[in-house]
Amino acid sequence: MVLVELAKILHVPVWALRGFLAPLVYPGLAVLLGTVLFLIWAERKMAARVQQRVGPYYVSPKLHGALQLIADGARFALQEIIVHIETDRLMFILGPILTFTFLTLPFTVLPGGPGIYGFRSDFSMVIVYALLTLSPITVILMGWASSNKFAMIGGGREALLTVSGEITLALAMLSVAAMYGTLDFVTAVEKQMHTGIIGLVSNPIAALLFFLAMLLLTDRVPFDIVLGEQEIVQGPYTEYSGVLYALTMAIDYVKLYALSLAFTLLFLGGWAPFTTPLLGAISVYIKSLIVMLFSVFLRAVYGRMKLDQAMNFFWARLFPLGFVALALGVFVHVIYA
Amino acid sequence: MIGRELGQRDGYRVVELYIGPQHPASGHMRLVVYLDGDIIVRVDPDIGYVHRTMEKLSEIREYVRVISLIERMTIIDSCNITLPFVEAVEKLLGIEAPPRAKYLRTILCEINRISSHLYGLGIGGIFLNHSTMFMWGFGDREVFVHLASLLTGARLTHTYNIFGGVRRDLPQGFKDEFLKAKRYMLRKLKDYDKMFFNNPVIRGRLENVGVLPKDKAIAYGITGPNLRASGVRYDARLLGYAAYSELDFEPVVGKYGDGLERVWVRLREIEMSLDLIEQALKQLPDGPIFHERYAKMVPPAMKKWFEKGRVKLPGGYVRLRPRKGEIFSRGEMGHGEVTYYLVSDGGMMPYRLRIVTPSARNAIMFSILPPGNTLMDLPAIYGSMDYFPPEADR
Repeated sequence: MVLVELAKILHVPVWALRGFLAPLVYPGLAVLLGTVLFLIWAERKMAARVQQRVGPYYVSPKLHGALQLIADGARFALQEIIVHIETDRLMFILGPILTFTFLTLPFTVLPGGPGIYGFRSDFSMVIVYALLTLSPITVILMGWASSNKFAMIGGGREALLTVSGEITLALAMLSVAAMYGTLDFVTAVEKQMHTGIIGLVSNPIAALLFFLAMLLLTDRVPFDIVLGEQEIVQGPYTEYSGVLYALTMAIDYVKLYALSLAFTLLFLGGWAPFTTPLLGAISVYIKSLIVMLFSVFLRAVYGRMKLDQAMNFFWARLFPLGFVALALGVFVHVIYA
Repeated sequence: MIGRELGQRDGYRVVELYIGPQHPASGHMRLVVYLDGDIIVRVDPDIGYVHRTMEKLSEIREYVRVISLIERMTIIDSCNITLPFVEAVEKLLGIEAPPRAKYLRTILCEINRISSHLYGLGIGGIFLNHSTMFMWGFGDREVFVHLASLLTGARLTHTYNIFGGVRRDLPQGFKDEFLKAKRYMLRKLKDYDKMFFNNPVIRGRLENVGVLPKDKAIAYGITGPNLRASGVRYDARLLGYAAYSELDFEPVVGKYGDGLERVWVRLREIEMSLDLIEQALKQLPDGPIFHERYAKMVPPAMKKWFEKGRVKLPGGYVRLRPRKGEIFSRGEMGHGEVTYYLVSDGGMMPYRLRIVTPSARNAIMFSILPPGNTLMDLPAIYGSMDYFPPEADR
């Protein structure tokens, strides 16, 4: 294996190299950055296609504007970070950085392919879930620290929606765990490869719940209530500028990437049908990219759902459906056994 | 920070939220919103940010120059807003436009109405974060802006209506272009229904939001599609100015007057306007497009332009002196009914020109509709109203 040989050359233990490469290269930061840049470009291009226009173009006409995001990033990097006088300075500046850091942590344990992970744990699903649930807390703090009413309302909305979204997400994950009898992503993928039936087929309700919760937690249309541009400007991120604003913009995409990876692993068979690391990694990446592209494409179709309707949708419809998914998961587990 | 605002105000424990004038969805105005939790208890629309003293400026301009001034109030609907003024001055001058000119005015008015409605629908779409409706509305509006530019030579500020007629004749090939545009628009309207109007998320945002009952709509003097959505069959076009008395149409009237119905009225009015233009093009009479009293003042060397379908204004035209008197006129714009009250002292300039624009009359809806709804309903109500701040502020 390449990894083992590389570890020999560098004179470091294999686990250390793994723990270093997974969060920083793939599926972690390096690939994440490229994915976010591509995803935002693709989102704008797809929406432009539906809306009879060209989309980003003039920054690099030969690449159809693919470098637009880099230009925007350079602009953000050079912009002054305005911290106005009423803010809670420390929390205001730490907010986006902490959130971003929390959101990159799941990549230590999310497998990006066969044998590609920071460390393997029997509770990797729980760990990913727990780490993802940390970010709303800092987002709420950002809303408070901004000392802006729009940001404050945005923080409140974040709190409200996170609760309803995460319950649904937890139920979907639980039903998958019950279905495969494991809390480990790798085992879940192996189970799917072993039975030859992907999770989307064996438990479609859980897949639907997971996907909808993902849309809610990552502020995608129609659930982009936290950002709510037409009411509350940019939600909790209203007061940010410069690099910090770029970070707040990235938060949702990073979350989307992590949850899409999880969706791929749990419902789309992970690296199936390949078993080698390279092909498996490509398989996982392409599958999760399709999930991401689909979820960003919805912006061209829907508007923003009303807050109370979204809450009602999640608590009155999806929450009971979660128990159905759980029962279905147990049922499938019995059949598999 | 919030605690400072959590005082008692009018007996309510409320947050005072200033939306605008620098806000993604405020327009050129400010909405002072008082929130009790997520429920709006009161909204004070703070208008006047784009007040350009139209009424006062028109007192120091000759009558002809007033036309191009007042059309800047609503450049997206510039034919409709100038027509009542032109007709008022014509009445004081004691002339009447030739029939062909009246039909041409009607055609341009309806083209403008469609583009105004598409603009409103687009803005309504982006207020609900439906970016596709926004882009479609603005993109398809371009079709009708193109039609208007074929007819008048200008995209927005046509200054097409002048005292005694219109400035250009119908160009060749206009009918074909219009029929093409009509086919396209009818096809797109089906898409609008699918993507926007029948979209479950959009319906959820607009249904039973900002309900304006019939009696309230009449009491507050609401006008235009917003009034018709509440079930009142009133349309200034029914009074039969321009060529409307000779055309066959029935105003689109709603029932409940919620946000959804206001959008529905606009969508159906686009169909109606397409139909009206087709009728007008069919019945278009032959003849002059400019009143002969002024046409014969034009020097012979300039007469050749009349054969080419263009009106050259005679030198004395700028010094028109309508007779002394007061006159009131009204017309239906895309946003609603515009009324002019013109006082002439027999001079070259209006003594006083009082303008009441539809948006100015509809601005009261900001105060009466949102209370009781949530903060998220505010953009939905704003979007469904088709409010145009520069027009309201004059």
